[in-house]
Amino acid sequence: MRHPTDGTLRRLVDEPAGVADADRAHVARCPVCLAGLAAARDDAAVAGAALEVEVAADVDAAWDRLSRAAAVEGRRGTATAARAGRWRAALRSPVVAVVGAVTLLLGASAAAAANWLPIFHAERIAPVTAPRADLIKLPELDDFGEITVTEEIRIRQVAGAAAAEEASGLSAPRVGELPRGVTGEPAYHVLGRVGATFTFSAEKAGRFAAAAGQTLPPPPPGLDGSQFRLTAGPGLAAVWSQGRPVPAMLVARANAPAAYSAGVPFETARDYLLSLPILPENVAAQLRGFTADGTTLPLFMSVENMTSSAADVGGRPATVLTSRDGTLAAVVWVDAGVVTAVAGSLSADEVLSVARGLRWDR
Amino acid sequence: MAVSKPPGRAAVRPDLEQVFRTAYPRVVAVAARVLGSRNEAEDVAQEVFLTFGRSAVPSGEAVGWLCVAAAHTALNHLRSGRRRASREEAAGGSDRVYPDVADAVVTLDERRRVRAALARLPRKQALALVLRHSGLSYAEVAAALDLSPGSVGTTVRRAESALREELNRHASSD
Repeated sequence: MRHPTDGTLRRLVDEPAGVADADRAHVARCPVCLAGLAAARDDAAVAGAALEVEVAADVDAAWDRLSRAAAVEGRRGTATAARAGRWRAALRSPVVAVVGAVTLLLGASAAAAANWLPIFHAERIAPVTAPRADLIKLPELDDFGEITVTEEIRIRQVAGAAAAEEASGLSAPRVGELPRGVTGEPAYHVLGRVGATFTFSAEKAGRFAAAAGQTLPPPPPGLDGSQFRLTAGPGLAAVWSQGRPVPAMLVARANAPAAYSAGVPFETARDYLLSLPILPENVAAQLRGFTADGTTLPLFMSVENMTSSAADVGGRPATVLTSRDGTLAAVVWVDAGVVTAVAGSLSADEVLSVARGLRWDR
Repeated sequence: MAVSKPPGRAAVRPDLEQVFRTAYPRVVAVAARVLGSRNEAEDVAQEVFLTFGRSAVPSGEAVGWLCVAAAHTALNHLRSGRRRASREEAAGGSDRVYPDVADAVVTLDERRRVRAALARLPRKQALALVLRHSGLSYAEVAAALDLSPGSVGTTVRRAESALREELNRHASSD
């Protein structure tokens, strides 16, 4: 009989029950293997000692810290996944990645009631870059009023492409050629419909500004108390994670974001918000440069962590994002009211190549 | 701009606290094996649990998932040179009491060599080594790293052999 492999000898050291009886019997009688086993045991002991670190973790203190961090993250919301280098963390969870990597899967499909005026529909995406410190200063929506979530963000894994298509109403991506290192079949996730109503409150906005040492200009007529409806349509994602916590690649699609107003037009609300002294000027200036018709979706990103560049995918303008440490790239674009993103532990060339090779027909 | 802010709050899974209290020491220990530092390992554990809190990883798979994520994240920290805690330790904020100064110097130096060796190992070997020494079974390591159970032993063996060579090489050149 042949000698068992070094790997088998290694397993004999600490998981002998996993080794076949014939191998065990051989090793017991074979001087060569017994010597190999002794060497394996020796190296394992040295490695174990070298790696051992005494850790007496204070679980209560650690839980307090985590609770606070989770509360802050909850308040900041999932769109912050696009900000401040959270991409890497986001990608560790396929579920979070579905929300985070596309960043703004606030789709548009929920029906607007008759008295709701569509005021925003994303037709393109443009990066807004600023130092991380400025992005952290950006106010959140609930600093300006009340948000009532009417449909919670819900993401679930489904059996396959067909189930994802049926649940989301979108066609699932077919990847022409997988990049090197990405193998196997993807897992499919579906994002359900999400919706919320936002009611602007001049009083709350004023309080927020006062806390920042600022005084707000009076809101334009009709803005105080006016309502906006934000809707999130279904989306789907194919995630190649190969059983690891860090997915190698994902392709996600969702209906592009939209917003509806019950009162004031988009321009009125936007111009007022952009005039506020609490927005960092470099951010406000970039936002002012967007078209006035409410079709450009800003993608907030920090200059320290990410870089962006322009590209095209199938004739549509696309934004390529890469992390400065080179570990992650993503490309995102809007076509016919649908946002699509390809992201992963890949290079910019690789995500673009996948994006350009995608087919949606089945 | 307001429209790009999501309306929902990030939902934190309801079993987070229970999983955290059960698994936290083990997850910290995984990261500490990579980083050699409790402070830094606790930072990694926080990061990993935050991600877990927003995930839909089944409860039954939580501990394995957390250990694998901690090993990945800790290796990323090691390689990206984010060594705040280790600098603090070197400056005197040690999380361990040494019997005497000579021991402390030897231990810190050996720790540094172990980290350097881990950083040089191929990622799969480093992960297999750390996860096996953290108590994951061969089958669990195989599943986490997309290896056959048979090749886990080979991978761990290679890593241990490389680690030992690295330590010996430095020891003899000192």
